[in-house]
Amino acid sequence: MTLPHDNRTMIAMLNTLSSDYLHGKEEVLRLSMIALLTGGHILIEDLPGLGKTTIALALAGMSSLSFGRVQCTSDLLPSDITGLSVFNREEGQFTFLPGPIFNNIVLLDEVNRAMPRTQSAMLEAMEERRVTVEGMTHHLPDPFMVFATQNPSDQSGTFPLPESQLDRFLICTGIGYPPEHLERGIIAGGGIRERLEGMTPVASTADILAARKSVETGIYLSDKVVGYIYALVAATRSHAMIQTGLSTRAAINLAQAARAAAFLEGRDYVAPDDVRGIAVAVCAHRLVMRPDQETADRGGVLRALIADIALPLA
Amino acid sequence: MVAISSLTAVLSYAIALCGIVPLFPWLTTAPRFALAAGMLAGIWQDRRGAWPVKNWQFNLAVVPVFLYYALQFSRANPAQPVVNALAIMLAVRLCGGKSVRHYLQIAALSLFCLASSSLFDLSPIFLFYLALMLLLVAVSLVLLTFHSLDSSLVLPRAHLRKVLAVGMLMPLASLPLLVIFFPILPRTQIPLWNILAVPAARPSGFSDKVEPGTSATVGESRTIAFRAEMPRQPKQQLYWRGTVFNSMDGHRWVRNPAVPPEQLLYKGARIAQTVYPEPGPFRALFSLDAPASIALPRAQGAPDGVFAYPGPITRRLAYGAESVTSGILATVTGINRSFYLRLPPRIPERIQRLADDVKRRGTGDARRLELLEQFFRNGNYRYSMRDLPTGEDALEQFLFEKKRGHCEFFASAFALLLRAAGVPARLVGGYLGGDYNELGGYYLVSDDLAHVWVEAYIDGRGWVRVDPSSFARNAGEVWGGEKRQSPTMKIHLFLDSLDHTWNRAIVTYDFEQQAEIARNAGKRLQKLETGKTARAFLPYLLLTAALALALAVILRRPRLFASRNERLLRRFYRLIERDCGIRAETGRLGLFETAGLTGNDAVREFTAIYAGALYRDRKLTAHEIARLNRILRDGFVTKM
Repeated sequence: MTLPHDNRTMIAMLNTLSSDYLHGKEEVLRLSMIALLTGGHILIEDLPGLGKTTIALALAGMSSLSFGRVQCTSDLLPSDITGLSVFNREEGQFTFLPGPIFNNIVLLDEVNRAMPRTQSAMLEAMEERRVTVEGMTHHLPDPFMVFATQNPSDQSGTFPLPESQLDRFLICTGIGYPPEHLERGIIAGGGIRERLEGMTPVASTADILAARKSVETGIYLSDKVVGYIYALVAATRSHAMIQTGLSTRAAINLAQAARAAAFLEGRDYVAPDDVRGIAVAVCAHRLVMRPDQETADRGGVLRALIADIALPLA
Repeated sequence: MVAISSLTAVLSYAIALCGIVPLFPWLTTAPRFALAAGMLAGIWQDRRGAWPVKNWQFNLAVVPVFLYYALQFSRANPAQPVVNALAIMLAVRLCGGKSVRHYLQIAALSLFCLASSSLFDLSPIFLFYLALMLLLVAVSLVLLTFHSLDSSLVLPRAHLRKVLAVGMLMPLASLPLLVIFFPILPRTQIPLWNILAVPAARPSGFSDKVEPGTSATVGESRTIAFRAEMPRQPKQQLYWRGTVFNSMDGHRWVRNPAVPPEQLLYKGARIAQTVYPEPGPFRALFSLDAPASIALPRAQGAPDGVFAYPGPITRRLAYGAESVTSGILATVTGINRSFYLRLPPRIPERIQRLADDVKRRGTGDARRLELLEQFFRNGNYRYSMRDLPTGEDALEQFLFEKKRGHCEFFASAFALLLRAAGVPARLVGGYLGGDYNELGGYYLVSDDLAHVWVEAYIDGRGWVRVDPSSFARNAGEVWGGEKRQSPTMKIHLFLDSLDHTWNRAIVTYDFEQQAEIARNAGKRLQKLETGKTARAFLPYLLLTAALALALAVILRRPRLFASRNERLLRRFYRLIERDCGIRAETGRLGLFETAGLTGNDAVREFTAIYAGALYRDRKLTAHEIARLNRILRDGFVTKM
């Protein structure tokens, strides 16, 4: 079987990260890589102190990408993220000082604490991959990936992201506590923030762009798998508990993510397993439940729904 | 998506039509009108969705109608009022609002209507309506169960197809029961309340007298007279003997029941036939000329080779006959010459002169017959059904002036001349020809083939069949040459063979035959021999087995005719279950997930090769198939 030559670097990077630095975070790392490889953004919903920032930092450090961080608060202004023009007295003109968003990997911590105005500016930048400040359009670097986090338990004083903006995140996932033996090890060894400083990058920006290219064009998506994705999307649209099913954009994202997942598995074609593996992460946050089902676990509903759809096996 | 309510409505109208159509001709005007109006009103109201008149109001309105028909009921007329009342009830149900109960009532009333149509008529079309109705009712009942749960239910097409399939299977499943019940249940051969109506409705080309000259034209009807099962015969021998007219009074030939005794000798090969006459007012039993015997209880044979039934044939009969078709009937002793030479008191002078001339020129009977035949052949006579001589002297006109006429003219004149010339003669009435139905293996004889010919008695030979009509100048046009069967004729014959099969197998199947079957079955059981029985049953067993196999194949088609991929996958899953203890429900676990669960390299390899082809939308190459088969052969047992 022929493998696309450039996925070895990515797989090596993933392996190094999960074995050397981030124990017990394989799934989040894999999803982050998928987001990176498809040019999507990731939203991590979990309690503080479980390693959200560490993951983002590690990813940036491993891939020699630049890293920017924004801690969202209710008084954060759009210009605090995008940057602003400052009058340069020597040159007699305004010069643009780029904000933290002009980095390859941007960590938006507690994104739901920012005002809707700021959220919207930021999410617009995520979608358009450019920022317009005072009439000047500035392109964001490529690759560009937003690593947003939000705390699901503390809802006071937050501005929950509306559905339309949740839809912009390719992936939404939790982290969860590490398994016991790993956590014991982490407790014994202490944090790894310092070690991250001294990481040697495994992949270059060019590697990542090349990998992204081959995910886009080199992975075969069979009609059978397209049919499977369609069946899944259609099933969410007629489910009793779901008010609004998955959009076409969600289906496209699902296919993209499945391609990246297949790429990370070392295959040049998508199997239905790939779709299943990322479906909950890609789709659950986009479901709008019926008013009486608001509290239902979307992931659980989606998993039950997927279990009922037969995989195309022959 | 199809709404159940509209479907049940359409079905119930179809069911009602199945009951109404066969009964319609037998209803009086008022119920006919009520049915048509009720149906149209019902459809219209259903479309509109509003029923201004309530069902109880309808029910109340029907009461006087009931009383009216109850008063009409009498022993002389027991069926008509009942049927009319039935029709009106159905009409009322059709036009009222309909709940599940009313749909069921419509189905029951329609079934009664169909059943009561068999009081009047036993035609095979009944079977068609019955089958159609049973099918519709079964489907309708299935749908009604849905309807009763939720009348606004809307079914997707796929579900509907399944429901319809189940509904249709039910009547089909009952077919084997039909085979069992048919020989056992009692039955009638005649429409119960319509014994006289059917025969009276039938016009006939055959009559009990020969009287040429009563009308200037003769109509032809294609009504069936009888059918005769037998092998194909030469065309010139297809004379069907019905009766013999042995005396002439004035200008018509009739049958004198006091037939002088004579004994006919039947020499030559006998042709067996089974004749199925259509019920009619006549008693003559037809068979190929001349019948040596007719096997029918109570059939009476006369000395002149005529068989008759004691009364009119009002029910469907079948009888076997054996005939000798040589055309010559020898007699053991002589015949009563004076009886067959008897002439009417006054014969037209010209005819007498002609007969005298023949008598003078010919010395023996044979010679005189020859001379008369020559006279007819040279006389430029035409066979015709139109512009016929009429009146008292019709025969004279026919012989000397008009020289055109049909078989009655030819035969009457010929026989009269024979007798006047001193040759004993008589007329034989029956049919000539017939359409052979290859499919059913029988002759179909219709009324337009009715024919009359002459038998002349020649000393030393016996009764000789002479067909004077064949001496006509245009006899070749009328009888000559094989009639080409047109496509419509072929279709007609095909339909007729269905009709015949129905009459033969269903209508004439009576208690005697039931008893016969039971007796035979008993006899056979007594001398049952195991080996023989096994041999006899073998074809049936094989047939049943073949049917069961075919059914199994159809039901399990997806499994039996699986694609190569499906077969591989099935073996793969079996092996996984056996070797790795993982029970993978098909379609529930992805291939790579399965491989991951087993943690087995062979499984991984299989999955990689298989999925690599499957999810790249290409076929497995021969090499890959060989590899997969090898993996499957080796199994997935982890090598320690």
